[in-house]
Amino acid sequence: MIQSFLSWARKPRTKTGFLAVAAVGFLAALVAGPLFGAEPGGKAAEHASESTFHCFSLFTDPRYSRLEVIALFVVLAIAIAGLVYALMLVKQVTNADKGTQRMQDIAAAVREGADAYLSAQFRKIGLLIAIITVILFFTTQSPLLAFKLGRAGAFLVGSLFSWCVGFVGMRLATTGNLRVAAAARKSYGEAMQLGYRTGTITGMLTDGLGLLGGTLIFLVYGERAYEALLGFGFGGTLLALFMRVGGGIYTKAADVGADLVGKIEKNIPEDDPRNAATIADNVGDNVGDCAGMAADIFESYEVTIVAAMILGLASFGHKGVIFPLLVRGIGVLGSIISTYTVKAGPNDNSDTALKSVHRGFWIGSAISVVGFFALGMGYLRFDDAYLALNPMAKAGFPGGNPSALPFWANFGIAHADMRPVLTCLIGVILAITLNKVTSYFTHTTHAPVKSLAKACQTGHATNIIQGFAVGYESTVATVVVIAAAILLSFLCYAGTPPLFVAYGVAMTGIGMLTLTGNTISMDVFGPVADNANGIGEMGYDAQAMEAEEKGSYKRARQILADLDAVGNTTKAETKGIAIGSAVIAAVSLFASFIAVIAVGSEDKINQMTTSQYLTEAGKLTVAHPMVFIGFLLGGAVPFLFSSMLIRAVGRAAFLIVKECRDQFRDADIWSGKKKPNYGRVVDICTNTAQKELIGPGFLAILTPIAVGFLLGTQALGGFLAGMILTGQLLAVFMANAGGAWDNAKKFIEDGNYGGKGSEAHKAAVTGDTVGDPLKDTAGPAINPLIKVMNMVSLLTLAIVIKYNIISGTSYRLVGLVIAILCAAAIGWALWQSKRETAEMREMERHFTS
Amino acid sequence: MSTHLYLQLNPEALIASHLPPEAFGTYLAVGTRQHSSGQAVYFELDMDAVGDALPTRDIATRCVPHRDGTPRKSTYLTIYRALERIPVAALGKLYLATHDGRVLALSPTVAPRVVDRCFHLYQEFCPVCPRVVSTLDPSEFCAILTDPTQPVSVPAIAFAELALGALATDLDTTDTGNLPYSDLAHLRDCLRELQAKPGKPTKVAVRNVSDALLYRTIQGGFYAGAGRELKYYPMPSLSELESTHHDWWRSAQTA
Repeated sequence: MIQSFLSWARKPRTKTGFLAVAAVGFLAALVAGPLFGAEPGGKAAEHASESTFHCFSLFTDPRYSRLEVIALFVVLAIAIAGLVYALMLVKQVTNADKGTQRMQDIAAAVREGADAYLSAQFRKIGLLIAIITVILFFTTQSPLLAFKLGRAGAFLVGSLFSWCVGFVGMRLATTGNLRVAAAARKSYGEAMQLGYRTGTITGMLTDGLGLLGGTLIFLVYGERAYEALLGFGFGGTLLALFMRVGGGIYTKAADVGADLVGKIEKNIPEDDPRNAATIADNVGDNVGDCAGMAADIFESYEVTIVAAMILGLASFGHKGVIFPLLVRGIGVLGSIISTYTVKAGPNDNSDTALKSVHRGFWIGSAISVVGFFALGMGYLRFDDAYLALNPMAKAGFPGGNPSALPFWANFGIAHADMRPVLTCLIGVILAITLNKVTSYFTHTTHAPVKSLAKACQTGHATNIIQGFAVGYESTVATVVVIAAAILLSFLCYAGTPPLFVAYGVAMTGIGMLTLTGNTISMDVFGPVADNANGIGEMGYDAQAMEAEEKGSYKRARQILADLDAVGNTTKAETKGIAIGSAVIAAVSLFASFIAVIAVGSEDKINQMTTSQYLTEAGKLTVAHPMVFIGFLLGGAVPFLFSSMLIRAVGRAAFLIVKECRDQFRDADIWSGKKKPNYGRVVDICTNTAQKELIGPGFLAILTPIAVGFLLGTQALGGFLAGMILTGQLLAVFMANAGGAWDNAKKFIEDGNYGGKGSEAHKAAVTGDTVGDPLKDTAGPAINPLIKVMNMVSLLTLAIVIKYNIISGTSYRLVGLVIAILCAAAIGWALWQSKRETAEMREMERHFTS
Repeated sequence: MSTHLYLQLNPEALIASHLPPEAFGTYLAVGTRQHSSGQAVYFELDMDAVGDALPTRDIATRCVPHRDGTPRKSTYLTIYRALERIPVAALGKLYLATHDGRVLALSPTVAPRVVDRCFHLYQEFCPVCPRVVSTLDPSEFCAILTDPTQPVSVPAIAFAELALGALATDLDTTDTGNLPYSDLAHLRDCLRELQAKPGKPTKVAVRNVSDALLYRTIQGGFYAGAGRELKYYPMPSLSELESTHHDWWRSAQTA
């Protein structure tokens, strides 16, 4: 085993991985070392209370009623029910007809490619995860082993859950696509249902695992759950970043490579089996749109609950923690019921199918909202006994009296507080509104996309110019919607301390992701339908089908094309939710960040006073030079990150184009007598995507650390604010501009402005190609970037406060060394992202010789 | 190894080949080494019907297999003035090859009289290749263009009718969405000129079309004829293209 490990380690492609490991290990030693050195006195006294900590203490804690404990077990049961439902759907999907051998062979090639990619990725980042687990163990501020293990273990579990959601979801998507293609030969309804349910499996896995993790951590750690929750959230977020970045690079490199050679150079249709990049393109749909998106939403799901639970405990006490878990439980139930209602008849079309998907979302929303209100009226009662046991909650009510709340906040119910319910409702409305905003700017039936198509009549440049205009405008619309949601949440808690306001914002995030099951079902349906269409194109035997039943081939192809169109729409709609949830989660975490600065470490967050919070928040002003510097640097990071990703797509696509051209030179491949070597392109995509992960990963993890140690905590606050602002704007711009360009092309292909082959169509193709890496690689990857940087800042904040150069309390030299090392690693990553790889040079030599 | 005789329309050439029609189309479209691409439109000729009108006597000596026994893919017999010397009766099936070498065969039939539209758009292939708007239906168009009494005429002509959409009946329509022609305003002006001058049956809209033909724009089909003798090669219906000729149709739409 050691020998095989060494031989693996000697491979050139693992060398880069070792560099990452060495850098992180070195950093770990530096960070962990001082913690075991001299420390100012009083530590023993500070942690005296921690020595009494017991796992599962809430079962014996008199503050928790029996009903609350039972409710938590009910939530646990709902989480498991979600997983059982997913398992049930797995059986439904896998038992469905698998089609002909030819179809199965194509699906198997896609599945093998997807498995190979995720396995390679896990090998690459597995070591990094292990190292970070160890770092977290040693850097957790609490001296108790339970908390050290809790944070490190939860990080490991969070990352494994995130990977599991991505991997299993993608595996099932590659199983479902074949079944959808097979079912399309018989009935529209059956194919549509199988595709949607394949997506639901991933959705329920996300729901189930997210809720299971959060609830279990709370059951074990009780009011000290934040110790582990931060690790849990960080694990999910970090994996999501890698899956988003790697998947994004893979999918667009394969797509652009396949299109450049196939459609543009060779004039062959999409998914033509002669194109060596066809399988990689289909694999890319799964690793990018399925695994990447699922992991992304999973981490939003985790991070919002982490933020809500931490802030809930610090503001309203344990009811503030249990309520978000119960809300999530209701959401899972809503998703189970509503996703099962999504059905289509044998003769339906894309319009009716889309209505069915949307109806499912509405049903889920209605179930959830009714559930929230019922739950709030029954559970959110803050009587005198509760306030006596949780005195910090008094600050959340006028004069410390819940009965003094206005009618809209308690509905006239004694001691009730319905504000958390209202903020959840705001979240649900926010999700629906963001869906609509995204749809408005990217759908062919609305003015923005039509304006792009119109601009195509006058050429490539005018299309690009108009696309920029539409993208920029869409960011404003999205920001206004998100800002309005935050404002409404703030108004719900107007007059209360900022932590309560932050809790309201966090609950908006909880509400927003209530229907995660439906959201992911809609998203994953996209790549499943897309792949099914590819399998139909490559795997259907037109003559055999026509001989069996006249017109059956055309009908099946039409069904797959319709499903593909529905999938494209549903996939685009969910992107708005992913970005919005990132911003809401980041705003909530930002409040936790200020709270930690105010009290020195996160374990004292519930001891914080309002004045402490306001004092620290007041220091985060752009009038302060360090804050402004941090703000500028933070604002720049999403641009650098996007640049690295887009460049990575270009580099990977270059290699794929070369490989495909090489294979097209084989006369037998071109004539269709011989199958191309799909595996070679899949390997190129897999290896390149892994390599290109490292730079953006370093940038995301190390930049906040470098800024924190070098410029201090206030600069780090400014850094986060700048990063959230520009990150959100850039992500929305890229997603919506790319989506609009894509659909402008589809609008023209539907027979407008000259249709396919016209000059307008050529301009639209250019716009779509420009938009591809924006909407599917860089844009979506900014969501986890925002959250990773927030989580890293929050997790390292306690040691940043101690060792930073500007205002550190001890060993400032340590801070300087760490900052220099981080800066060097980022510089190296940037240099790596620009240099021509050995493979590229080798290929150049091969093709020019 | 049998020898086939083909008349390529774009550009005009008479070619002898050992390749059967589909393989010949693929060869024309993508070449031998797959480094070239381009669509091809060609007739298979009935060698007996061609008779002595063309330089076919040396086919037997020039179109021979290669030394390794592989078939001769193309032997060019003439590269101009081929169509005018071929009797219309010698024109066999018409083949349409896409950029990536998918081939569709069209069988000839009698040209129907077209009365449902006022205006027509024709793409001529040889001997000249302008794009022309006309008030004449295909039979009349062929007859007038090949009428030696006219001030300008050609001995024979091969052409296709292209879609004008709603413009064919209403010059003021805004419903021109799916017409991919580069200068629609000019096309509309040409049609208006025909409308304004009833004595003028044809007008050249584009003198020389350099772009590849978009097969999806073919309205009805292809024509080849001289005088009143006209052969019509109807395109399959959309439904038939989507089901029976799916691969060709998908390829044709990609170009």
